[in-house]
Amino acid sequence: MTLADRLVLKQRRHLKWRALDPLEAALMILCGLLLLGFCTTVIFDIITREIGRPWLWLQEVTSTFFIYAIFTGTAVAVRRNDHLCLTAIADTLTGAARTVVEVATRAVVLGVALCFIWFGYLNFLRGFSSFRMPSMTPIASLYAAIPICGVLVALFTIEQLVNGVRNGFARDEPPEPPPHVAEIDGLAPVGGERT
Amino acid sequence: MSSTLIVLLMVFLFLFFGYLGVPVAFSLLAGTLIGAIFTDVSATAIVQKMFDGMDNEALLAIPFFLLVGELMSSANIVLRVANLSLRLVGHIRGGLSQVVTVFSMFFSEMSGSTTADVAVISRALGGPMKREGYSPPFIAAIIAAASTIAALVPPSITAVVYGAIGNVSIAGLFMAGVVPGLMIGIGLMIYCYIFGPAGMTRPRAPFRDVALAFRDASLPLMIPVILLGGIVTGFFTPTEAGVVAVAWIIVVVIPALKRGHIKLLPWDFCLAGLIFSLPLITIGAANAFGWLFAYLRGALMIAEWITGLAGDNPQLTMFLLVLLFTIIGDFIEPVPTIIIFMPLVNALTQAADINPVHMGVVLIATLAFGLITPPYGLVLLMASKFVGVRFSQALRAALPIYCVFLITIAFMIFFPKVVLWLPKQVLPESVGCFKNPSGAGYICPQ
Repeated sequence: MTLADRLVLKQRRHLKWRALDPLEAALMILCGLLLLGFCTTVIFDIITREIGRPWLWLQEVTSTFFIYAIFTGTAVAVRRNDHLCLTAIADTLTGAARTVVEVATRAVVLGVALCFIWFGYLNFLRGFSSFRMPSMTPIASLYAAIPICGVLVALFTIEQLVNGVRNGFARDEPPEPPPHVAEIDGLAPVGGERT
Repeated sequence: MSSTLIVLLMVFLFLFFGYLGVPVAFSLLAGTLIGAIFTDVSATAIVQKMFDGMDNEALLAIPFFLLVGELMSSANIVLRVANLSLRLVGHIRGGLSQVVTVFSMFFSEMSGSTTADVAVISRALGGPMKREGYSPPFIAAIIAAASTIAALVPPSITAVVYGAIGNVSIAGLFMAGVVPGLMIGIGLMIYCYIFGPAGMTRPRAPFRDVALAFRDASLPLMIPVILLGGIVTGFFTPTEAGVVAVAWIIVVVIPALKRGHIKLLPWDFCLAGLIFSLPLITIGAANAFGWLFAYLRGALMIAEWITGLAGDNPQLTMFLLVLLFTIIGDFIEPVPTIIIFMPLVNALTQAADINPVHMGVVLIATLAFGLITPPYGLVLLMASKFVGVRFSQALRAALPIYCVFLITIAFMIFFPKVVLWLPKQVLPESVGCFKNPSGAGYICPQ
């Protein structure tokens, strides 16, 4: 299995279009590259500062990677259902009640995504009048991440809404442990007896 | 519509959407955007405030600390630390529950994330504890309680957020968190010794075994040394210390201890890149919510109420804030709580003349406590899920453990000198001390 295959979450398959799997994989890879990018730039920032020849533009590059990584992760987490939630009330419901709650929660997310697109776009246009130092790049280059994130969140939410209404939201699936937690082989054997 | 009504509407919508199942970041933004309709604030300004909340250099530390935790658990290096903990305290009455606490004290110094802590400890020790006959509700309770130490001790992500948003020294918060973190750890060990299940009796590990386990774990144990050493000596900022720790794991620890894991590093980076964005977008959303909340004088209303009750008594002010944060922490996560209520906290800190680092560490401990209290005890919820037990059962088992947290928080309120002792020794300027202009040493506020 390739890295790209492994990066596409297998759960809630019935809510996903296969056509969007490559997009999920690409966004996951982008998350990794952006994280690697700003790790590298911060390291170079320390090194160049310590040798007395700081590259000031590194901080600008770092913040660009950082902001784009946040919005990319936010978008892909919608498809993977990885966002932090207070409850998962819908999982305890069945039938029409579940459909209503699932549709309502996604409608709220979609509403926020549309605000990201429109008001983020307005912010982006406004960003051409402010500049980042020292490169004097318009700050719009950072603000562009917001409407892009909005488009992706809206796309993934519509995908789930359409498939959920068509196929039903509920589907029995074995619980899957979080992929980011590694299995631990086990503690070293120790002798002992129960008291 | 009056400001009070708009604030109430925002809070209601956030909680309603949140408990309906909408992700926290989107619930906060939905509440804020709807609230803004009734004010003269534009939605563009709200989106801008969300962006401003994330565009903060100090927050760069969060992905680095999460990546450290991810690499440590993914490469299975934490097992060495778990084995060291077993050799150190496995023979004490309570057995593996003592090991859970000590392991958490070690791992917290590497990851800084309570959720990473609970996931790793559940995986490492949940199974062995079940096999040794500990009751699953107790396992979930002790793992959850021990995991909250990560919110206090360096490199606590909660402290990074508090420092970045509240303009408080992050290094000072790190140092001030050590004493309460140790108090909770030792308190949990005492609790397990006296009230917990006896567990399996093990012989005390010979010194040679302890030394060998220590040698095995020495490379990962260098991570807290790098983090604290770099920050205390002033060589690194907390953010830079995080990236140096990442470089240490990738360049030294993994090649030395788990060479085969190198090919999986791209996978770790992709997952860590996703994981870190989740708290960060929540920070952005909470910043927008908190800004509108402050704009509508919501924070001021609560501040006036608390000042009216407490006057300028620092202990009473702190007690009322702890009470408020305990209630709020039962419903919301620590990060949004800190961001939304930071204007209120800053106002009260100044009004009652409290050291900001002292206030910060007390509130962080309170929010850590909120992670194991109902109805939204995130860490206890996660622990019960990983261990495979109902939340209500885990909650009943956790109730007696609450006394450890309540005693620690009360101690922190009434003995600020003890809490601030360590930062005063190693980073005096972080707690408001300044160099004596007419001699050696520092002059510190009383």
